[in-house]
Amino acid sequence: MTKCPACLVGFARADFPALAQHLVDRAEESDPDHVRWLNQNLTRRKAEAQSLVPALEAFFALGNNTLTRWVKTRFIAKFFGKAPHPFVVALQHPSRATLLGYVFEHQHFLRQWVRSCAFIMARTDRPEVIRYELDNLNTEYGGFGPDRPAHYELLLRMGESLGVDRSIVLSTAPLPTTRRTIEQWNEMATREHWVSVLTAMHSLELIANRNLVDEGASVHYFDPAILSGNEITPAAQGFLREGYEADVEHSDEALALATRFSSELGVVEEVQSVFLRSIDLFDDYLIARLERAVQFEA
Amino acid sequence: MKRNYDGCAICNSTWGNVWAEVEGERLFFCCDLCVVQYRALIDRIKQDTGWHQIDSIEIVGDRRGRTCEVASGTERARFVFAFNTEGQVLRFLRADSSR
Repeated sequence: MTKCPACLVGFARADFPALAQHLVDRAEESDPDHVRWLNQNLTRRKAEAQSLVPALEAFFALGNNTLTRWVKTRFIAKFFGKAPHPFVVALQHPSRATLLGYVFEHQHFLRQWVRSCAFIMARTDRPEVIRYELDNLNTEYGGFGPDRPAHYELLLRMGESLGVDRSIVLSTAPLPTTRRTIEQWNEMATREHWVSVLTAMHSLELIANRNLVDEGASVHYFDPAILSGNEITPAAQGFLREGYEADVEHSDEALALATRFSSELGVVEEVQSVFLRSIDLFDDYLIARLERAVQFEA
Repeated sequence: MKRNYDGCAICNSTWGNVWAEVEGERLFFCCDLCVVQYRALIDRIKQDTGWHQIDSIEIVGDRRGRTCEVASGTERARFVFAFNTEGQVLRFLRADSSR
């Protein structure tokens, strides 16, 4: 099945003429998600549906590459291109405000993360996927005992090191953008194929994958130099280092599973579209972190 | 107001079909979000400059970062700006000015 990358409505497999017509029709209705997708991925200039078909086919074509390579290429273009995402720019040498924006919004993201991964486990019948998700959930949320606290705990400690008690962080509602994106990820997790959800969620861990620079990213998620010295607090270093070390394996292993099972189960096209929707949500969510950061700027 | 874009007043896209009145002019926008962005930008420029009227606006860039050069009579100003996902101004900095 082919899906619209803006709203996930489905079409017959490889029916790019129908997808093109749908995008044009929804854009004509001035729907922001469809206009945005066309603007950012195909063209800003209005065109007939028929003329968009070759561009859509080319956009989704894997060619001689794997799904993993295609996902990484799209992810790098969106977040680590010539003009990286503004949050990535801010995180290179982050201010206290930027890190607090991260803390306040990300605790909500991680709570949804658990639910999304639980849907994957509930839907799959593949033991290797279950094992992968269990390990990921422990790393991100559960922890491995006092010596290896979860990413969630490290996030709260980073907030405390910046002078904000965890009780304040935990009792602060998400910004509207964070709330909206979390709701859409939750809906995605409940409705889409588990391979799509696996790809849509774990591809987001590419954001901290330090190997992306070797694959075309213009910068790292943050300047690795901040992991030493005293530019940021030791707790902030601990939080960022954990992702820096874990997310190469997390994202690469998940994408290997996605590549294998999407092909085996014949769901490559829908996996691609659900991934594209997820990175658009992630783009917005990262802006929400900056929006929260503004509240802490002097 | 003189503009450099022939499409949507904020992003120059020609998709969509929204028409809205801003500063007494009926302008084309690709979506309602861009209407909110444009109105917020104009309000912020007028607030920052104290101008009652903007004669021209030239926008350059994309969602990753935009600048605008504005004029009112003989006065000029240049700003760097960005929006949040709801169209409100997130960043607005004066780049330089010949006022």
